[in-house]
Amino acid sequence: MKVESFINDLQSVPWSLVAPIIILSFILMVIAFIDCFKHGRTNGPQWVWILVIVFINIAGPIAYFIFGRRND
Amino acid sequence: MSLILTEALTKTFNGTNAVDQIDLSIKEGVCTALLGPNGAGKTTTLNMLTGLMKKSSGNIIFDKRYSGDRRKYIGYLPQYPKFYSWMTGEEYVIYSGQLGGISKQEAIKKTDDLLAMVGLSDDKRKKIAGYSGGMKQRLGIAQALIHDPKLLILDEPVSALDPIGRREVLELMKTLKKKTSILFSTHVLHDAEEVCEDIFIIKKGKVVVEGNLGELQKKYQKPTIYIETEEPLESWSQSLKDIEWLRHIEADNTKLTITVENIDVAREYILNNTGLRNLNIKSFQVAKTTLEDLFMEVTK
Amino acid sequence: MRLWLILFKKEFKESLRNFKWLWIPLVLILLGIMQPVTSYFLPDILESFGDLPEGAILNFPVPTAAQVLAETIGQFNQIGVLIIVLAFMGIITGERNKGTNVMVLVKPVPFSTYITTKWVHMSLLMISAFLLGFLIALYYTFELIGTVPMSHVFKGMLVYCLWLLFITSILLLFSVLFNSTAAVAALTLGTTITLSLLSSLTPKLMAWSPGMLVSHTFRFFETGSAGDGFWLAAIITAVIIFISLVASTYIFKNKEVVSHTT
Repeated sequence: MKVESFINDLQSVPWSLVAPIIILSFILMVIAFIDCFKHGRTNGPQWVWILVIVFINIAGPIAYFIFGRRND
Repeated sequence: MSLILTEALTKTFNGTNAVDQIDLSIKEGVCTALLGPNGAGKTTTLNMLTGLMKKSSGNIIFDKRYSGDRRKYIGYLPQYPKFYSWMTGEEYVIYSGQLGGISKQEAIKKTDDLLAMVGLSDDKRKKIAGYSGGMKQRLGIAQALIHDPKLLILDEPVSALDPIGRREVLELMKTLKKKTSILFSTHVLHDAEEVCEDIFIIKKGKVVVEGNLGELQKKYQKPTIYIETEEPLESWSQSLKDIEWLRHIEADNTKLTITVENIDVAREYILNNTGLRNLNIKSFQVAKTTLEDLFMEVTK
Repeated sequence: MRLWLILFKKEFKESLRNFKWLWIPLVLILLGIMQPVTSYFLPDILESFGDLPEGAILNFPVPTAAQVLAETIGQFNQIGVLIIVLAFMGIITGERNKGTNVMVLVKPVPFSTYITTKWVHMSLLMISAFLLGFLIALYYTFELIGTVPMSHVFKGMLVYCLWLLFITSILLLFSVLFNSTAAVAALTLGTTITLSLLSSLTPKLMAWSPGMLVSHTFRFFETGSAGDGFWLAAIITAVIIFISLVASTYIFKNKEVVSHTT
């Protein structure tokens, strides 16, 4: 029963609308991740920022670009 | 005609004069040093010359041949140069050249030559973020020279460097002064003596000694005698005070330093002096004062 | 002009390398997708929290296309502006605090060039990002909810861009005045929020205010024509932008490039 309703829920999600959001936020995360890794100069420990980028959706990468990245 | 002349140049911060009525004359084709202890007002003076700081009063007069924006004719390297570290060394120097008014093609060509001259050819494609202190200093010299300035101003160019970097930059300055006039500040007399013709010694915002280095050396080099005895010699030294060949005397317990007019007369007199002999001479030494002594004296 | 372009290119290149030209538009695009999609699904979403009493849920009116566009602008105006202001709070203070401005301003670069290239670049990036995000929102709104005449949309966006330029010009002015990036961000956001709030609370008293431009934008979406007092607000905003730019240049020119250190 539960599995069935779960599948039902999944099918009712309008993927054509939601997919772009997921894809774009993933791209944002990848850009921030690669930059954080390569650029290397962060305010505060780099590994913390990597966690923030990977685990906080959308806001994490934004926070990294605004506060974490050292743009000098 | 001097390249730059200042008349009673003054800078006041919160009521105190950091630079107090300084008259400088920087000659063309000459290397000039601004010598003085930390906090004497050297950087402030240079900042006013470059226009980065506004003068409180006085005048700065640039040679009439070079009219308009003074900055066109000046290349400047601050004591702690700060670069856009996201650029490569090459990009930065090209950008500086374009800011200085030369075309991109010209800037690219000259950048190549300059980076070769300062020894950064191998690292020119690297981000400045990865440069060492010495590399940044040399990059700073390259960016200051890119637009062929009439006057190169360097603020403490070697004081932050290790001995090797110091050597490199001083050698570089010796090469540069053949092509352009240099004005640089330092708190180390040796650096000034090594590359400069003219010096201004500054203390508390005022010029205390100025002139051609060679002439100053001649003028201030006086024969000096150092004496050390076993017994205290201070009371005996009082007897020397009125002798006409004595220039300067400084006694400290068993040690005595005297500067004299004529070394032969002085030596004759002192070594035959029985008063001194009774104090048991430990050492007797004849030397010459250097500018270092003068520098120590005036900046004390 | 040659020199102006050189400095502008440097700003542009810098923002390409630190990814501002990538992540800011991307975030605005995300916002632009999310708002129409949320509006479209809001009834469904509320329905799925189905514990509400029977009948209560069915009374959600589907918003009109113009309303959805207005909601999108509302989102942009909060989150979008917040992000842009934070991203550019160091526009002048950043280089001043790091000291990188020294070696630029010791070259024969007019102070006005240094200031205006930074402002134009910031404004260009901000407007490009907002337009991109808004175009996406427009596409989703037209697909999901309904259409609005393009001339209405165009006029509305033009008015909104004037508001954005107002924000960038006061950001520049605060950045010239203060050395703390936090102060710059707080003052810019504080000013825009205060103006917006006052404008919505007392529209009659604040008819002149740049803060009115946002509601004028909504009005253009709805009707395609200017509401009462639009020209007053628009002209005053343009004048404030101009004065901010002139004042910024003047203050910057008269401020010491380097401060006394010892």
